[in-house]
Amino acid sequence: MHRLWKEFSKGLWKELPPFRVLLGLCPTLAVTSSAENGLGMGLAVVFVLTLSNLIVSLLRKMIPPKVRIACFILIAASLVVTVELLMQAYVYPLYQTLGIFVPLIVVNCLILGRAEAFASKNPVLPSVADALGMGLGFTLSLTFLGGIRELLGNGTVFGVPMTWDSFQPLSIMVQAPGAFLALGLILAAMNAFSNWYSRRHEETPPRALEAITSCSSLGAEPMVVLNGDDANGNGNGANGR
Amino acid sequence: MAGMACASAVACEALVCRIRRQPLSIENWNAFYIGLIFAMLLPAGAPWWLAIAGGAVTVLLGQALFGGLGSNPFSAPALGWAVCLVCWPQFMDVDMALASLPINEPLTQLKYFGVGSLWQFDTMQLFLGNQVGAAGASQAAALVLGGVWLMSRGVLRPFIPLAFLVGVAVTAGIHWSIDPTQYASPWFHLSTGSVMLCAFFLAPESGPSPCGRLPMILFGLLAGAMVAVIRIYGVYPDGAPFAVLLANLLTPLLDRIRPRPFGVLRRNHA
Repeated sequence: MHRLWKEFSKGLWKELPPFRVLLGLCPTLAVTSSAENGLGMGLAVVFVLTLSNLIVSLLRKMIPPKVRIACFILIAASLVVTVELLMQAYVYPLYQTLGIFVPLIVVNCLILGRAEAFASKNPVLPSVADALGMGLGFTLSLTFLGGIRELLGNGTVFGVPMTWDSFQPLSIMVQAPGAFLALGLILAAMNAFSNWYSRRHEETPPRALEAITSCSSLGAEPMVVLNGDDANGNGNGANGR
Repeated sequence: MAGMACASAVACEALVCRIRRQPLSIENWNAFYIGLIFAMLLPAGAPWWLAIAGGAVTVLLGQALFGGLGSNPFSAPALGWAVCLVCWPQFMDVDMALASLPINEPLTQLKYFGVGSLWQFDTMQLFLGNQVGAAGASQAAALVLGGVWLMSRGVLRPFIPLAFLVGVAVTAGIHWSIDPTQYASPWFHLSTGSVMLCAFFLAPESGPSPCGRLPMILFGLLAGAMVAVIRIYGVYPDGAPFAVLLANLLTPLLDRIRPRPFGVLRRNHA
């Protein structure tokens, strides 16, 4: 149970997908012009990520290492088509605002990254916990970023007016440059906060770089790997054997 | 209004120095200077909060985020101007701010009514500053005087401003010589908008412009050509600060043109 919680909670802060390991930046930058868009995109990713991790983890003994990437993409693509059809059926306006970025979930680094780094080496339950944590972190980040951009750029959050009447919105924030500005400022704030926190608790400050390496070379770390043999096989496969 | 922009710029600079635990660097007048230049790009009737917000954006986004004076990759006042223009176009528009006046800003007139409507402007009067425009940027003659004084004192190296003006004049002149009924004359382009301000005060800013003679000349020519191109083909009536921002992006590339070290023979390539 403890281990499951650990896998779940690492996606919420320590390896928060868009802000700590900077995965899945395409939707993060492109669709977060409002909090609602961010939330919708995040939920779509949670759905795809959880099911993809589940299926990859179930099939991890059967997928041949040489063609595993193609297999992962195939699984993700089928799930994304499902999500697309579901969104068309139930939340059509949201589907129209998200546009091309729903099909683009297939090539989201987050999906492939979790499948490759985690689900293909671990049993089903930890994989699902990992996917839920990562997906939840992704959703919260997107909603937060979208909320900030919507508040500054439009004066509303989730469509509810939040500012005084004579407020003149900074409309640059809901345009493309605003996404980069907001993302950069949030990254800086998060780094400043973790530095301050670790200085206060007298630990070494966590670096974004370490989070990235721990994510990409997850197989090398004994504490996360639950199935060592598979990790070796995949590691060799990654070198283009 | 210029005072408010400067005050906001200086206050932000002080705040940033405090946050970064650095000695207070207000005494070098830099924050005051970029706040002033930014205010000169504003229309005279701009609301007070625009000046304050713009001054803050100029210092915080333009300089402080990149590490302060000299480390900024963009000309800070031009960046502040661009952010304000994208955010609040209705307040940055000179004609909207001064809608009570019977005449338009010359460049807006050119953009929307064509060259045929330019008969009402006398180039000499435009040059002397008798035109509707941004608070300080439209005083072409005064800006030229200031620039020449800076150059004669040796503060400003003449390559960027002169190349900038040549770039504007040549690009506008080529268009003008092709079809004078469709494109305005180079003299008109030189004396309107914020060309003089950009040439003498924005483009040669030391941080975001290249050093060395040839890179400086190339930088100025490119920026000047971009001014004319943006005015003729672009969406905005006046794009001079945009042109400076674009040229700033090329600075790292232009800085790769190094001078020949003393005593090294020129290599002969076949």
